[in-house]
Amino acid sequence: MTPGSGPGNDSPFASLAARVRRLSPTMRAVTLAYTADIVLFVIGGLHRSSFVQFSNITSLLLLSSFVGIAAAGQTFVILIGGIDLSIPWVLNSLAIMFTTRSLGLDGNVWWSVPLALAAGLGIGAVNALGIVLFDVPAVVMTLGMNGIMQGATLGLTSGFTCPQCNSYVPPSVQNAFTGTLFPSVPNGLLVWAVIIILVGLVLAFSTLGRRVYAVGNNVMAAYLAGVNTRGVTIIVYALSGMFAAITGIALAAFGSQATLAMGDPYLFASISAVVIGGASILGGRGMYWGTVAGAIFITVLPAVLLQYQPPNPDAVRKIADGVVILVALLLYGREARET
Amino acid sequence: MSATAAPAPRGRFSKRMRLRYYSAQNVPLLLSLGLLAALLILYYFLFIAREGRAPGNFELTTTVNNTLTTGLAAMGQAMVVLTGGIDLSVGGIIDMTNAFAAVHMGTSTGSMIGVSLLVLLLGTGAGLINGLLVAYGRLQPIVVTIATLTIYQGVAIEIMNTPGGQIPQAMTDMFSGTIPRLGYLPNSLVLLALLIVFWQILRRTPFVATLYAIGNDARAARANGAAVVRTRLAAFGLSGFFSGFAGLYFATVNTSGDPTSGDTFTLTSIAAVVLGGISLFGGRGSALGALVGAFILNLILIVLFFTAIDQEYTDLFQGLFLILAVVASVLVGRLLQRGR
Repeated sequence: MTPGSGPGNDSPFASLAARVRRLSPTMRAVTLAYTADIVLFVIGGLHRSSFVQFSNITSLLLLSSFVGIAAAGQTFVILIGGIDLSIPWVLNSLAIMFTTRSLGLDGNVWWSVPLALAAGLGIGAVNALGIVLFDVPAVVMTLGMNGIMQGATLGLTSGFTCPQCNSYVPPSVQNAFTGTLFPSVPNGLLVWAVIIILVGLVLAFSTLGRRVYAVGNNVMAAYLAGVNTRGVTIIVYALSGMFAAITGIALAAFGSQATLAMGDPYLFASISAVVIGGASILGGRGMYWGTVAGAIFITVLPAVLLQYQPPNPDAVRKIADGVVILVALLLYGREARET
Repeated sequence: MSATAAPAPRGRFSKRMRLRYYSAQNVPLLLSLGLLAALLILYYFLFIAREGRAPGNFELTTTVNNTLTTGLAAMGQAMVVLTGGIDLSVGGIIDMTNAFAAVHMGTSTGSMIGVSLLVLLLGTGAGLINGLLVAYGRLQPIVVTIATLTIYQGVAIEIMNTPGGQIPQAMTDMFSGTIPRLGYLPNSLVLLALLIVFWQILRRTPFVATLYAIGNDARAARANGAAVVRTRLAAFGLSGFFSGFAGLYFATVNTSGDPTSGDTFTLTSIAAVVLGGISLFGGRGSALGALVGAFILNLILIVLFFTAIDQEYTDLFQGLFLILAVVASVLVGRLLQRGR
């Protein structure tokens, strides 16, 4: 898919520009995204040196991991040329389902975690069924699903006033994300590392990965080549639902409780992580490694901005987020000019 | 669609043939009107059963007033959807304009007119930014409008951090009051009539012909010399204008502003467009359908909440009807294809 920058004959310094130019557009974008991450940390560190302390970096990376996990599903979906706008309330409803089922007891974890993951898979599959069986555009199907999950959550919890609504996340699950197996490295980062490796391997080397790229590049060609395009679509959206569930559990564990609207930032964040990471919104091009860089960027940027203590941080954050995604799109998301 | 069709010599077709062509072209709109009529009848009888009297002018006024914000937003959404695009920033523009109106509008006539015009200008400008990025920047409407949605939401909370502000009573009376001389009919009906007239004039212009042409096949439209880029820009501009109008209207009906309450209109405007029989793939439908769709959506909710369903479930039903409407329109389309 993407020829890396193989060792050339040129001297290492003079050839850097040439090497970057030789990269595929996706690899160039991924390189740019990681460079941008480093620049952000440098700016943050120049302003206040404690910003680049190891413990601060790992806690920022832990925050990035929530975006990164949700964006893993979004990456799969965008790679086939779709989009998942249902992540916020799938995430939120399943986080609430998890806390209200497990009721803070470790004994309930063994079934309540798989239950939430299975529900995520199921909701994602329903999204896909609407898309493949009834030709509902992905935007509309997933936007509608987001509304359905929001209404169901608010209705079933009576506006989050139910007695179990304030249940805590069981200690073992909290420990799985916020505990530290290694000094000042939160376990959540290890969970994310496993996901990064798995998703990276699946996309790069598995049959499913090949098929995802094939469907994203040209559905008709993939179909004619014998790919079960509907099956791939269902798997991909189901995976997105499952990753939303994982993010929901992780976020609840991080805050020790589920809250209403906890998923709202993740619609925008997951899409911008994918776009900043260099994947094409039209599908067929992109890598999860890039999304990882995008997730870090979209998380660290507001942290850097907050150092300057703007009067209205929420507004500044939202505007900066939007501008960043537009800049990323203008840098590498433009369509070819039609003649 | 009629705007794109060549004017056929009238004498060649019998009246019956013309009626058949008309209904064949307008199946989705006619279905929507049928659904609306059915809902109105259902509403009428449910209301009598519940209240022991027929719904009167008060119910008419509140229903039209509550629907018109969605209707205005859906009119704008329709312009973009007709080109085959989608505008997810509608909610953000409503947040922004709503907040702006509530913060800046004073009680003097000059202030009311001036700020109203500024609000419309703000909405149009926001729409034009979307249009520039999509048409000239050659970017995908979905991601562009997701990005600008966030930006406009940010601007909205910059303008006004918490719900509040004040809309002068005179504005509220004008937009959501009633006309005593006409038996207390709601003023908003006048606005509704103006919107219908506006579309009837607009749809006879080359602009709307190009709108449909782009929605049907952008490449063919370009090959035939249509001003594709400029028309796309104008479609987003109009969407912004109507969203701005919706924000203003929403503020006057509520007599105050809220920098986040506009968010839901992204979903409801798309749902109204679909319920009104406009194809999300572009090129099919009438903007009047968007208004019909807005009334359908609101009436369904009113009817549902007659039956003791908790208000908390509103989003669930809005989402469900959005999906069901698309599924129904696809199934109707398949049925028509088979009939041929």
